[in-house]
Amino acid sequence: MEPNESNKSWSGKSRGGTLGYLSFVFLIKNFGVGAAYSLLSFVVIYYIPFAPKATSAIWKYSRKILKKGRLTSLKFLYMNFFRLGQSIIDRVAVGAGKYNEFVFDFSEPDNVKKVLNSSEGVVIIGAHFGNWEIGSPFFDKYSKEMMVVMMDYEYQNIKKILEAQKKIDTFGVIPITENSFSYLFEIRDALSKGKYIAIQGDRLSKSEKHLDMMFMGSMAAFPLGPFVLATRLNAPVVFYFAVRTGYKRYKFEFTMAGDYSGEPHKKKEVALMKDYVTTLERVVGEYPEQWYNYYNFWNI
Amino acid sequence: MIDGVLIEKINTILAEEFEVDASIIKPEAPLMETLDLDSLDLVDMVVLIEHNFGFTVKAKDFVGIKSFEDFYQFINSRINGA
Repeated sequence: MEPNESNKSWSGKSRGGTLGYLSFVFLIKNFGVGAAYSLLSFVVIYYIPFAPKATSAIWKYSRKILKKGRLTSLKFLYMNFFRLGQSIIDRVAVGAGKYNEFVFDFSEPDNVKKVLNSSEGVVIIGAHFGNWEIGSPFFDKYSKEMMVVMMDYEYQNIKKILEAQKKIDTFGVIPITENSFSYLFEIRDALSKGKYIAIQGDRLSKSEKHLDMMFMGSMAAFPLGPFVLATRLNAPVVFYFAVRTGYKRYKFEFTMAGDYSGEPHKKKEVALMKDYVTTLERVVGEYPEQWYNYYNFWNI
Repeated sequence: MIDGVLIEKINTILAEEFEVDASIIKPEAPLMETLDLDSLDLVDMVVLIEHNFGFTVKAKDFVGIKSFEDFYQFINSRINGA
């Protein structure tokens, strides 16, 4: 589990333009999510050949990690893209006020409730899996502000969409820009004010420090950053995943991370990462088609 | 004029934390390169300063700190309220 210099990482570019996104928004608002799903079923067919990197990543994930056959993998590939599209559609629908049409189940142990209700800041680590953002409005019940840490180019994309919709999102953003350390201080300040810091623990950017961990039966690189931040800033850590469990139905799953403050220096983040990977492996194992890392995650 | 004891204390803390030989720490040497620091290490640096010297660090404090001499000046000014 030593850091290495492999080149497996996310390029930083996301597919789908603002115009395409807004077309779906129009459909959802005027004709409902069912109409948007119908359009999506055709759009997905386009993406399979025309998004070769994503197609290759999911094909390998299905064939080599999940050990599925060719025909099953083809179906899995379609379903993976379709589920991603559904998650975006559902997120837009909830954001547009249609949340009463959805059912949300909470798996929230008492120790998690206690931490989320306390006055101290909390680091919430998620993944590019399921539909993380659909749950963000529900954090309002704890009356605390959520700050999402993301790469600056991701933030610029989201900002364009929000501005086009004249909509304010339910969370603040701390953008990570290259050659600037200011985000570290923003994170620390937000935690000291008792805010939630939401960060994804699975996606690696180029030149980011990482560790290789056994995940779903093969070694995969996980970014060190979120785990270093969480352990050094002495904030409690909660793992959070939102999975689609049925038609207009989601489950929010929270798990309290262990307390690794007693571990030797520079071993704390490794212990926390192991804890995270174990939890992530469990939920991805239950809902494998909701895995949305479209690059060669396992370097296979 | 910075107290030699303070410089010694800073050098010892930095050498231990970032696992470098204290002898390579010279006032004119570049801080980031000598300690091989990246953004994640900066988290350690902030925690280390706050823990050992008892004041809060802000992002703007790091602007202009290039060498160990700059770093000594920064710590000294904050401790002595200069």
